[in-house]
Amino acid sequence: MRKNRNQILDTVAKMDSGAMTRRSFIRKMGSLGVAAGVANAVALSPLGVRKAWAAISGPEERAWALAVEMAAKAEKKTLTLLIPTGSIGNMTPYADLWKTELGIELVFIEEPDEVVHTKGMQEAVAKTGNYDVMMPTAMSYPDWIDSGVIYDLTDWVEAHDPEIFNPDWGVVFPASHHAQLYNGRVAGLLNDGDQITLLCRKDHIENAGKAKAFADTFGYALGTPATWQEYRDIASFMHDPANGFYGSLEYRSRYYVKWMFMQRLISKGRLYFDQDMNPTFNSPEGLAALEDMLEMNQYLHPDAFSFTWSSNYNAFGRGEGFMNIAWPSGFKYAKAPSTGPATSGNIAATVMPADRLADGTLLHAGMFCWGYGYAVSKYSANPELAYAYAQWMTSPTISMDAIPYLGGYSDPYRVTHMKAPSQRMLDTYTQPYLDTLYDNIVNTVPDFCVPGGFEYQDALDKEIHACMTGEKDPQAALDDASRAFERITRRIGKDKVQQSWLALTRNLAEPIKKASGADTWL
Amino acid sequence: MMQNRPLTPLLALVLAAALAVTLFPVFWVVMTSLKPPTDWNAAPAIWVPSEPTLANFRTLFDPSALEAYGLSGVSQPATPAILGSLLAAVLATLLSIAIGLASAIGLSRYAKLSKWTPLVILSGRMFPPAAIAVPFVIMFSAVNLIDSYAGLIAIYVAVTLPFSTWMLKSFVDDLPREIEQAAMLDGRSRLMAHLLVTIPLIKGGVFATTMFIFILNWSEFMFALVLSYTSVTTIPVQLAKYVTATAGTLYGVQAALAVLAMLPLILAGYAIQGHLARGMTFGAVKR
Repeated sequence: MRKNRNQILDTVAKMDSGAMTRRSFIRKMGSLGVAAGVANAVALSPLGVRKAWAAISGPEERAWALAVEMAAKAEKKTLTLLIPTGSIGNMTPYADLWKTELGIELVFIEEPDEVVHTKGMQEAVAKTGNYDVMMPTAMSYPDWIDSGVIYDLTDWVEAHDPEIFNPDWGVVFPASHHAQLYNGRVAGLLNDGDQITLLCRKDHIENAGKAKAFADTFGYALGTPATWQEYRDIASFMHDPANGFYGSLEYRSRYYVKWMFMQRLISKGRLYFDQDMNPTFNSPEGLAALEDMLEMNQYLHPDAFSFTWSSNYNAFGRGEGFMNIAWPSGFKYAKAPSTGPATSGNIAATVMPADRLADGTLLHAGMFCWGYGYAVSKYSANPELAYAYAQWMTSPTISMDAIPYLGGYSDPYRVTHMKAPSQRMLDTYTQPYLDTLYDNIVNTVPDFCVPGGFEYQDALDKEIHACMTGEKDPQAALDDASRAFERITRRIGKDKVQQSWLALTRNLAEPIKKASGADTWL
Repeated sequence: MMQNRPLTPLLALVLAAALAVTLFPVFWVVMTSLKPPTDWNAAPAIWVPSEPTLANFRTLFDPSALEAYGLSGVSQPATPAILGSLLAAVLATLLSIAIGLASAIGLSRYAKLSKWTPLVILSGRMFPPAAIAVPFVIMFSAVNLIDSYAGLIAIYVAVTLPFSTWMLKSFVDDLPREIEQAAMLDGRSRLMAHLLVTIPLIKGGVFATTMFIFILNWSEFMFALVLSYTSVTTIPVQLAKYVTATAGTLYGVQAALAVLAMLPLILAGYAIQGHLARGMTFGAVKR
């Protein structure tokens, strides 16, 4: 994008001076890598083309200006990034630019994604200064901030404005808050819109014979499921183990299974804690969620108990199931002919199924789970340069360019990524799927983004897994998880976790706040 | 002298079954290392690739080699990890054996052991590595040993020394001390008696212990992961890094590196196999 900067500015100036038609302006901006939607919005803006473009490209410009200033001052001419293995593909395309124009060499330290959090905590005690930028998930921020290993970015955000809260091109609310803030302060800049959505096999939905048989059996038309009841109906109908085709591929494996439970729990209008930090999953809703999962077990892929994300994606891509609960990367896998030979061109995606509440209303809730972001190490020799990198990479323009690169985990997270995508973004995700992502993300609830988040998550995962394998009955599993949560809260300090939890729940979609009662919490 | 038992059909069957169980993982790893990416996760599983390829091995040295299969995202060659493992494992093993041998002879021949001595020496092995990793990080960062081979070798020696000491001590105990005394009567000093008599006579045990310690160091993961940043890397850490966004876990590349990782052990085992049969008894037959 930066390479095209002068050409873009020339084009903008021509448009403002009336030397170009809107159509040719949009075509020209498209050829320079600007999203058609963005170009169109800029062209139609009442501010005038130049001002509108300045607004949307502002975060990149300001970040670059800061980077130039800090790079000139920096004695250490490298910027070292701690990143999860497999994510590098979104960053390497810009390494040459930073080297040639700023004289800064980007050094990537790749670690397995499950140890990135540990590496950060380790740096908190070792204080080596080996990292400048660190790329954790949002769940790491509370522990990392509290341990003093990363900066609170708020002052820099106010000074250089990455426009992460802008309603038109910022990070989509509520992810803008729950995936970037800790206690109301900015802890990191999101670069990965990780959320789970439901993928279905369109070719099977469009099969006339199956559609008729389904309608005859269940009394409604076959399609993507809108509710969890429909999800079960369709899974049972499509389940055909004799032919190696299963109702769904959702996870029952350790580490992943908690998300399947958490998703069902929030669909029932329950969050993980109440306002006094009492666990709320040990309730009729939690029990119903577990029983629903146990009932679904019979319609799952036989490898569900050992799936990792990659084996799950591969099985779905090979055509071994009708539905899959997957991150956006799962859609990319299923869409690509190389990894989705049976699913390429055959995917119908939808938001996570809704559940009917006691008052009869349907509640749509999604899970924002995982989701990487950039944080700045307290022990960095060049912290402002590190911040400039984070803002630059996550700016509306650069992120639009970076996300479609293969070989990285970045998925859409700004409004413009989904509502005004570039052609490359469309080629990677398709507009219907980007619409699905937007419709889902606005109702998402985050992971345990509170102090001790990884401990809570692991305690829950362990008990849910024990229930799914038949080691514990549902009530015993929930009782044990609840006790484990209370122990963790006591140890970390109730006040500390509560402050963070309440700050988190203030920024959820209104229907979820209302259903869970969080709208009445202080 | 024990006579070889004749190989009965039942014994042959049991041995064949044991061999099959033992060698199956090796067979699977070797086959996977030769599979193209489309065969890594195939269902039903492909046992022997119909179109074997060396692309996985090439990827270890040229990260772009899998791009021919549409896969990208491998960012580092495995060469630094292979060299790093060789350096750390070989030096740490030699140091551990040298110190362990001196300790073993000292404990066996000169020390008046209290009942707590075994406990004290083994105490370093009583903690899970995860429990002592972070304290080591703090200490090593204070003395600039983080992300250095010197630090990694130091911790490998510390961790394996109890094993080498106790294994070698059992061999020294097994050796009649009258042989060393005879050497000393012939005018050898204590040191020379041990160097020229004791150690050569227990070389089978030394080789077996060396092999065992080398395997421990060669396959160690936790400390290498925790103590490394950019300068230090080893094969087990590198194996965990073969995950990409476009293909998930790169099983074929992991298998290729595992095959390479097996080679030094196989070669070393082959070279010293004559000593291993005696050494592997670990001094079980006492005089």
